[in-house]
Amino acid sequence: MENLEAARLQMAITLIFHIVFACIGMVMPFFMVISHYKWLKTRKEIYLKLTKAWQRGVAIFFVTGAVSGTALSFELGLLWPEFMKHAGPIIGMPFSLEGAAFFVEAIALGFYLYGWKKLPEKFHWFTGVIIGISGVMSGILVVAANGWMNSPSGFTYENGVFSDINPIEAMLNGAWFTQALHMTLAAFVATGFAVAGIHAYQVYKGRNVELHKKAFRIAIIFAAVAALLQPISGDISAKDVAERQPAKLAALEAHYETEKGAPLYIGGIVDEEKQEVTHKIEIPKALSFLAFGDFDAEVKGLNDFPEDEQPPVAIVHYAFQIMVGIGTLLAIVGLFYLLSLKWKKWQNHRKFWLLFTLMAPLGYIALEAGWIVTEVGRQPWIIYQVMKTKDAVTPMPGIFYSLITYTGMYIVLTCVVSWLLARQIKVLNQNEA
Amino acid sequence: MLTVVLFFLFFSLFLYVLLAGADFGGGIIELFSSSKNQEKTKQTIYRVMGPIWEANHIWIIILIVILWIGFPQYFNIFVVYLHIPITLMLLGITIRGLAFIFRHYDAVKGRSQGSYNALFKLGSILSPLFLGVIFGGLVGGNINLFSENHNLSFKEIYIDGWFNVFSVLIGVFYIALCAFIASNFLIGEADDEDELNLYRKKASYSTIILVFIGLVILAYGYFNEIDFVIDFIENKYSIIAVAISGIVLIPLWKMIKLKRKAWARILAGVQVLLVVSAAMLAHFPDVIITSTKEISILDGVAPDSVIQVLGIALLIGGAIILPGLYHLMKSFQLIKLFK
Repeated sequence: MENLEAARLQMAITLIFHIVFACIGMVMPFFMVISHYKWLKTRKEIYLKLTKAWQRGVAIFFVTGAVSGTALSFELGLLWPEFMKHAGPIIGMPFSLEGAAFFVEAIALGFYLYGWKKLPEKFHWFTGVIIGISGVMSGILVVAANGWMNSPSGFTYENGVFSDINPIEAMLNGAWFTQALHMTLAAFVATGFAVAGIHAYQVYKGRNVELHKKAFRIAIIFAAVAALLQPISGDISAKDVAERQPAKLAALEAHYETEKGAPLYIGGIVDEEKQEVTHKIEIPKALSFLAFGDFDAEVKGLNDFPEDEQPPVAIVHYAFQIMVGIGTLLAIVGLFYLLSLKWKKWQNHRKFWLLFTLMAPLGYIALEAGWIVTEVGRQPWIIYQVMKTKDAVTPMPGIFYSLITYTGMYIVLTCVVSWLLARQIKVLNQNEA
Repeated sequence: MLTVVLFFLFFSLFLYVLLAGADFGGGIIELFSSSKNQEKTKQTIYRVMGPIWEANHIWIIILIVILWIGFPQYFNIFVVYLHIPITLMLLGITIRGLAFIFRHYDAVKGRSQGSYNALFKLGSILSPLFLGVIFGGLVGGNINLFSENHNLSFKEIYIDGWFNVFSVLIGVFYIALCAFIASNFLIGEADDEDELNLYRKKASYSTIILVFIGLVILAYGYFNEIDFVIDFIENKYSIIAVAISGIVLIPLWKMIKLKRKAWARILAGVQVLLVVSAAMLAHFPDVIITSTKEISILDGVAPDSVIQVLGIALLIGGAIILPGLYHLMKSFQLIKLFK
């Protein structure tokens, strides 16, 4: 395997894992503090039990996220030293603020985990809120740095030299808001459905039903609302990409030829050699409308870009289909839940709980697919139209071995965490019985 | 503003060496304890370090972020030439994090605890060893820059820089320093006379080992003409710092005897501060020494606009974080100055 490929694969694998840990760490504290709030209000033991169970989940994911985040902060430099040498100072602002937010989160977590019965109740609860808020802040800031790679700003680039650096302008680049909005909602959708799904499964199996129903209700409401908002944010993102990164838009739609009134392809199999998409569903003029708000707008095809500036098409197209497909499904399921609040008897069916169990992994699959769209869709650039990925990679040969090491490390980390969570739930149910 | 940035860089380095060091040291002491005492040590460590555990390890992230934003050229050499030991250190940190999660969040307390403990101890040795090796690599004068010579082999570029006696000695020195910090921290937490004596013993062993390895490094460096060591010996500030740290050992032992644990901790912290300062002062700002030249951290420092903003961000961040951290430590009685 070539060094560049190995480095890209290692980065992808690291991020795929880290994103899961980080999103859970961002969102779960909110579930926890709501349950905690209910405990303080109602003094029902069951909420205290649930809060403590979720607290362990938050702690486990925080430590895992911190470990993998430490590795990641080094990996950026280890794998892409040329990128960091130039981009580091420019996008330092969101990263240094992210460091601060992460630190605040760690301090709040220390207070929260060890503060039971030692701190004043309301203050203790409040430290839990801080964990959630600073977690979301960290997420937004990191995404802002990624936004800069898609929409570089805050510097002048001439003859390979970066000058006139304005870190604030770089942080508030054109893509930061749409990307951060999309990602924050995605974190809530994915974690909400995952947590709700795990508890739905317990209800389905008839274990400790009262507690798991309460847990389900807290998680699913976040997931349902976020899932319904997500298509709107997706539309804003698509229009953004259409304007700023036409090659990415062409790749995610597998659109080879430039045309006016371009159709939208749903599904289909991409043949990169023949440059065609078979077995697709075609909606006339829909792409032009979705991308530019005009049925007759011109959409640039991939063939209008130099060959060495075209992203891989098939993977980006498939990932995009997966993301949008699942996103739509989850919005419908979210709506279904909200309706079930009115028609309460739906919830008495076992199939209701089975449905939500099956939804558990989908949010994360969509979230990962979305990152594949944005990252692979930007290729061959690491900084869009400024620096190519191949020029950023480390000169050290043998990255393949590093790839194996990190992949092994992350697989172990994931197995361990899943196993621990399973044990937590088992013990939680046993104590009840 | 550059001064502010450098201050925070040094400050995070110091706190990482101290706090993460105390944490690594806990694992090292556990490793060198009889099985009867291991359990007790483990629980004491958890009681003391638990609330600030997460925060301790974030200092290295802050450190690395300041480096890449403010000192990109320096960071570049660091990540390219020391790729391998950095990866090994990360492996150590990961193993340790894993074991920590296991030890404290496994809902079933069973036989599997034994293997978590083994992993924890392994990680506690590997992480400080490679942290020390990395520092030794940076200043040891063995890094061969490929920009100067295009015919170098993989081994000459990526391995010789850090895989040598000097770097390993520095690694062992940091392990001893960790044990020193942890044992001095733990003395204040002992519940009874037995435990107190146990930690005292560990503290005196680790001090002896620390001083011994320190002297070995100086002697090895001096006779092998390692620039860093020679400059260290000739630099009056480093020598003064080392001398003071030697003198401070006396009041430190007195405070331990008098059971004034707050003072014992402060003095142990001062020790570390002096050691870190001595190492930094010896060569500042030329903190990379390659086989052919010295490279200043200020070479290729980020443009002024970046340093300004970074400095402001650090000041604001510091104003939020430091009081928070202080209250966290105080709430859980890690700082007992006013008692």
